[in-house]
Amino acid sequence: MTPEDSVGSGQAASTPPDRVRVTAPIAQARRAPGHPVAREIAEQSEVGQVYVRSLIRTQLRLALVVAVGFLLILLAFPLLIAFVPGLEQAELFGVPFSWLALGVGVYPIILLSAWLYLRAAARNEARYRDLVDDA
Amino acid sequence: MNTWVGYAALIGIFTVTAVIGFYGLRISRTTEDFYVASRTVRPWWNASAIGGEYLSAASFLGIAGLILISGSDALWFPIGYTAGYLMLLLFVAAPLRRSGAYTIPDFTEARLESVAARRVTSVLVVMVGWFYIVPQLHGAALTMSIATGLPSWVGSVAVAVVVCVTVVTGGMKSITFVQAFQFWLKFTAIALPIVFILILMGNSGLSVPALAEPFAADPAGLPTSGAYRDISLVVALLFGTLGLPHVLVRFYTNPDGPSARRTTLIVIGLLSVFYLFPTLYGVLGRAFTPDIATGGTPDALVLLLPGRLVPGLAGDVLTALVIAGAFAAFLSTTSGLVVSIAGVISQDVLGGRVRGFRIATVFSTLVPLLAALLTDSMQLAGSVGLVFAFTASTLCPLLLLGIWWRGLTDAGAIAGMLAGAALCGGAIVAGRALGPLAGPFQDLLAQPATWTVPAAFAVMVGVSLLTHNRRPVGITKIMTRLHAPERPLPTPNR
Repeated sequence: MTPEDSVGSGQAASTPPDRVRVTAPIAQARRAPGHPVAREIAEQSEVGQVYVRSLIRTQLRLALVVAVGFLLILLAFPLLIAFVPGLEQAELFGVPFSWLALGVGVYPIILLSAWLYLRAAARNEARYRDLVDDA
Repeated sequence: MNTWVGYAALIGIFTVTAVIGFYGLRISRTTEDFYVASRTVRPWWNASAIGGEYLSAASFLGIAGLILISGSDALWFPIGYTAGYLMLLLFVAAPLRRSGAYTIPDFTEARLESVAARRVTSVLVVMVGWFYIVPQLHGAALTMSIATGLPSWVGSVAVAVVVCVTVVTGGMKSITFVQAFQFWLKFTAIALPIVFILILMGNSGLSVPALAEPFAADPAGLPTSGAYRDISLVVALLFGTLGLPHVLVRFYTNPDGPSARRTTLIVIGLLSVFYLFPTLYGVLGRAFTPDIATGGTPDALVLLLPGRLVPGLAGDVLTALVIAGAFAAFLSTTSGLVVSIAGVISQDVLGGRVRGFRIATVFSTLVPLLAALLTDSMQLAGSVGLVFAFTASTLCPLLLLGIWWRGLTDAGAIAGMLAGAALCGGAIVAGRALGPLAGPFQDLLAQPATWTVPAAFAVMVGVSLLTHNRRPVGITKIMTRLHAPERPLPTPNR
């Protein structure tokens, strides 16, 4: 089935517009919405650059803390099962702890990490916005 | 299995794909429509669409099959697939959206101001896409032969043809609506049979053969032989997700950085729920149908289990549902990848015209189809895992360092990507060729991510430091654009 055939029957009068492939070469990329020129000028200033650099550093530190924390928790699962006596035999409703932990238990931790990061990152950006708009 | 079930499922899914492709085409016709859509797509829709493109043969069939044969070790696969989005959220989501780049090569050119680096990235994106399509076509071959009894190559060819035709005629482009629908179709297809089976079990319509059985016979916890492989696999999946071309394209349709983050959070939620089901298939398979593992096609577990456990017509209907879901997985992932590959090829080689895009589409479907027909299928989950290792060793360092480190230069990026590609690709090929001959290095070659990812990072950083005079002139401006937040939007439509 070609779409042209099917469209043609309904709207014979208006020929459909030619297909245009949408690409975004970066030279023509549009300014992000809500990023006014005044802000851009403020950001290009020397003080503005200090703010930008500190924002990047803060966000990177936050991301690294969450990532490392999550990976440590992930690593703790098999280690706990291997080294805590009795845990290997522990069961809940007949399902061994190791299966519950890896099959179900990890996912809420992933979600929680993501949610905490989301909030903290938004807070960092709000702080930055206040600084730049005041400057 | 009744073959009419298989045919019904296949005709159903192909019809539905064509119909929603057609309607999607009517909804999104012009450039303006595309841009308007890009401002109004809600995080929920976007997240469903990402899930629709992301959940591939490996997720739908592979994980359950792997759990069937290797037990709790295989649980690391869905964990890695999901946690990969956590890494995406932490390091890539918002800055990538703010970069305004539509594809990874666009990002490279914008960040490094270098056409050469763009070309290398393009080649890698195409390679990653092709490597990723091959297992989808293998999955289609397996499903087709089980569903209808036809020779397995028919499945690969059918998926390739359907994808090629829909992409060339414009349906099933990166239309959010279509992909979002595919996610919920896959979710229903995998969840409904399990719910049904569990209800049957609850009514003790099925006798439970010693519930401890499915969990036994595998060393719980940290198995001494597999620890390296598990860790290496998780590294590959965590960092490979960052560079998947068909996933990153979707971030462009988020209105701004914060909504890109919200979208990612929802994706994590959707995947967390979805992956419970392949796990359940694996566990039930170990309990009731261990013979599927010894029969040589563990990847078929999801397709066979409902028919085995649910008698009569209900079983047939549920089987048709999982077959349809499996094909939805092959079709959506393959078409997402073909669209990204064809976009890159047509833009970089053929001048970016619609005609070029169509030629590129045919070309980028044919190459993996030939590869799929000429190679033997391996474990679906395993082969997709290797694609993630390759992505993690090439595109992931480029994105992470490009976003977070001013010092990255074009020379460094090119050197690092080439080194990662050579090491990771070489290790996989050598591991295949040598097999047990590799002796103590067998694990290192079979799951190379643990050493190839740091190596690629090291080369990228090292060469960038040596060529620090090649840093882009506008780096300050670029970094500001990547990280400075937008003003909150007054209305959704600008």
